[in-house]
Amino acid sequence: MHDGPGVRTTVFLKGCPLHCEWCHNPETQSPDPEILFYKNKCIGCGNCVNACPVGAHGADGFDRKRCVICASCAEACPTGALELCGADMTVGEILKTAERDRAFYGDAGGVTLSGGEPLAQKNAVALLEACRDVGLSTVVDTCGYADRETLLSAVPLTDLFLWDVKDTDEDRHEKYTGAPLEPMIESLNIANEAGARIRLRCILINGVNTDEEHYGRLANIARNIKNFDGIDLIPYHAYAGTKATFVGRNDSGRADWIPTAEQVARANRIIRGLL
Amino acid sequence: MEFSTPRGMKRPVRLSEETRRFAADSLDRKYGLDTLKTKAVVLDGIEEFSDLSDIEQYDLAIRMIAETAPVRICEGEKISGAATLGFAIEHVVPATLNGDWIFPSISHLTVDFETVLKRGINGIEQDAKEAFEKYRGTEKEPFAKSCLSCLESFRLWHKRYLGALDAADGYKSNAENLRQVPFKPAGSFYEAVQSIWFTFAFLRLCGNWPGIGRIDVLLGDYLKRDLASGALTLDEAREILAHFFIKGCEWVNGQYIGSGDAQHYQNILISGVDEEGRDVTNEVSYLVLDIFEELGISDFPTTVRLNENTDEKLLRRVAEVMRYGGGILAVYNEDTVVSAFVKAGYELCEARRFANDGCWEVQIPGKTYFTYIPFDSLQILQKKTLGEYEAAPDFDSFDELYEAYLSDLGERIEEIYLTEAKRFEEQDPFKWKRAHPCTVVSLFENDCVKRGLSYIEGGPVYNVTSPHIGGLADTVNSLFAIKKLVYDEKKVPLSDLMKILKNNWEGEEALRQYALNRYDYYGNDCDEVDSVAARLLSDFADICTSFNGKCGYSFPAGVSTFGRQLEWSHGRLASPHGRRVGEVLAANCSPTPDTEYEGATAVIRSYCKADLTKLATGAALDIRLLPSSVDGDNGLEALISLLRGFVALGGFFMQPDIADASVLREAQLHPENYRTLSVRVSGWNARFVTLDREWQDMVIKQNEH
Repeated sequence: MHDGPGVRTTVFLKGCPLHCEWCHNPETQSPDPEILFYKNKCIGCGNCVNACPVGAHGADGFDRKRCVICASCAEACPTGALELCGADMTVGEILKTAERDRAFYGDAGGVTLSGGEPLAQKNAVALLEACRDVGLSTVVDTCGYADRETLLSAVPLTDLFLWDVKDTDEDRHEKYTGAPLEPMIESLNIANEAGARIRLRCILINGVNTDEEHYGRLANIARNIKNFDGIDLIPYHAYAGTKATFVGRNDSGRADWIPTAEQVARANRIIRGLL
Repeated sequence: MEFSTPRGMKRPVRLSEETRRFAADSLDRKYGLDTLKTKAVVLDGIEEFSDLSDIEQYDLAIRMIAETAPVRICEGEKISGAATLGFAIEHVVPATLNGDWIFPSISHLTVDFETVLKRGINGIEQDAKEAFEKYRGTEKEPFAKSCLSCLESFRLWHKRYLGALDAADGYKSNAENLRQVPFKPAGSFYEAVQSIWFTFAFLRLCGNWPGIGRIDVLLGDYLKRDLASGALTLDEAREILAHFFIKGCEWVNGQYIGSGDAQHYQNILISGVDEEGRDVTNEVSYLVLDIFEELGISDFPTTVRLNENTDEKLLRRVAEVMRYGGGILAVYNEDTVVSAFVKAGYELCEARRFANDGCWEVQIPGKTYFTYIPFDSLQILQKKTLGEYEAAPDFDSFDELYEAYLSDLGERIEEIYLTEAKRFEEQDPFKWKRAHPCTVVSLFENDCVKRGLSYIEGGPVYNVTSPHIGGLADTVNSLFAIKKLVYDEKKVPLSDLMKILKNNWEGEEALRQYALNRYDYYGNDCDEVDSVAARLLSDFADICTSFNGKCGYSFPAGVSTFGRQLEWSHGRLASPHGRRVGEVLAANCSPTPDTEYEGATAVIRSYCKADLTKLATGAALDIRLLPSSVDGDNGLEALISLLRGFVALGGFFMQPDIADASVLREAQLHPENYRTLSVRVSGWNARFVTLDREWQDMVIKQNEH
């Protein structure tokens, strides 16, 4: 119930061209299936060691370099500490899952494509088309990293874009997300020109993008959107760091990045004042 | 003055400062503590008391209550009458002999306030006089006489209030209203509210805990007339009605620790259709919602009757008020309830009159004797079918196990039937009357007075005894885990599994984790397990209804645990779905805690797969929603959609609560700051701080995600 209006089924499309340091879905960055490991659930039963055909599990833990993602360990794990994340699904299979909640969608609810970066997958358009065919409302949560053609196909099939503008400062954007800012803004312009309904979603990170210049630029972007749905400021959450450990990275969570309630209120006040 | 919410949202202010103060005082136990000062009337030392029959003793007790119970007029109250004897809060007639109460009282019924409004107590008295003439000299004479005696006592109590109000300054309207009602028919909205309250207060003063019923149906026409004539403004009406709800908190005292100090089966319904299927929603329905939104009070818990055509405006308002948390609002899907009643043999127009019994079980108000007999279905599986895990027969297949379980379940229901049916088949049917006089409620239940039979001896038009299956999800999950582990995947033979369970999973952590984590249990929209639930509920209902017509009671099925899952946890063994001894398991029709991970919509879908129209007295689903999921405009839409989906899928009754576990934990640490914080417990609401530790922990656990 968090990803757009009403009750929604969110489809996470794996794979993201960005690598934001604060990424809250690190398990969806890689386009390939991955084994997630929740250390706190492990009871040390050793089933994974026996099940693994390549010796990736052992007394020293889980050696991801050896892992071939066969998921035998996840199959054998009794506690769910090891879990396969990601699967190939057809549009039909996804729709079938989404249809289960049909009774709850009403006029507002439907399907949300999230990720990862959903528009990095060309099949996203086919999925949107299929949703449209069966009368399910569509929301796309994107950072705009998509080619022009995909974007232009997606716009008429999408009821609402949740558009993530991570930062408006070129250097910072490149530094923290690993991608330049300019193509993102270009995409936003393309979608805007094509008449997309857009809601801005902007992460707020203490000490990174909590400056008034950024707020001013965000308001500027918002004002230029013709079919504007609103803007949400989303405070950074350190839980994202814990999630990174599930895919074998260090806990990247940073307590100092969490903005205070006053900061969030101030940012909201400034931006709304400029709209 | 702030009325807290489990979510920290600001509540709007519409009521006068005086009324808000009255609410705050009531919630802060001012009147509840006062009620505890006088516990009961004392019957000691009355000459030849022991020579009186039970019913004569009862009549005398009621008379003494009427004559001597303290009269309380709260500062600034707009309606008067108060149940001021402390033992009434303990569900007994507040009259003692040698220090002990002697008569139990009645709950789980909603009495006939419609007759009180339209004919007045005088109308009932007229019927009682006729009945007395009719039954004079017969075995029914004592009851007929008792009816007249209790009405006389009511009149006495009424006179005392009139006298006190006349003598006090500033209560002129109260006295004027009471000169009309409840003895004469109500002529205005204000009188109607006073009439219901005064009658309700007398019933409670005598120890009974009735529900109130469809308040917007009862009061709607009066308000409409008064608004049209200009006799009243909507704001004035809201103030008056608020006093009715605030006075409903007069027993809140912080002393009834355990399952909370506000559970007196006094629920209310709003909205829904009338006998002809027309929408009854009116201004009163909205005023009730306004009052809850502003005061966040824990009384009276209210249920909204929804259907496929429920007006968007009402639904939005319900969702808005629900969002504050506190669980004061629950919903029926009346399409399912009415179908269930028709299936159970009621006429359609009668079925549409349904109300709750004061809790969430359903009945036809003002004409139903109702009792439910709860039992733990998991205990039957563990102790009987599986022989305490020591003497389980070697079932060849899951179906064989299931059939054996069904047969044990049937035995339990037959046992319930035999015990209950005796009340009607007893050689001396008046034995019950002597043991449990209950004339006061009988006056307001059709057709006790006319039939010359009390509420518990067959006086009401409908007499319902409903076996209630509890531990549903736990039994279903246990059966399913055995099916998978033993029969489908053959991971462990039944005899070994029995030993493991007997040893409380000791040394078998890997298998326990496997059972816990590797299957989708009830509540995740998984057809394989949900079909076990649907099958069990259907078979259970069929067993119950097979006893229909065999005695004076009908025998419909229902599902509940209320809070019994707490006490049951002590008598249970380890469960095949990975649970150890002593774990508190599922409530009502809800999933076993920590087994549902697909979200609220999946829980509702699982629940709705059973044919709930076979469960004529109710099947409740508790749903806990994450606060962030209902925030903002999107969240409001989501909540509305959730309610619509619940109806579309054929749900029966749902009590959602939206509470932040961290706020509840804070309240546990600093109860002094959270005196008005109300939460949904089960069929009732309670102020969180009046729950004991075990109940608090259970509610916190239910609100963790």
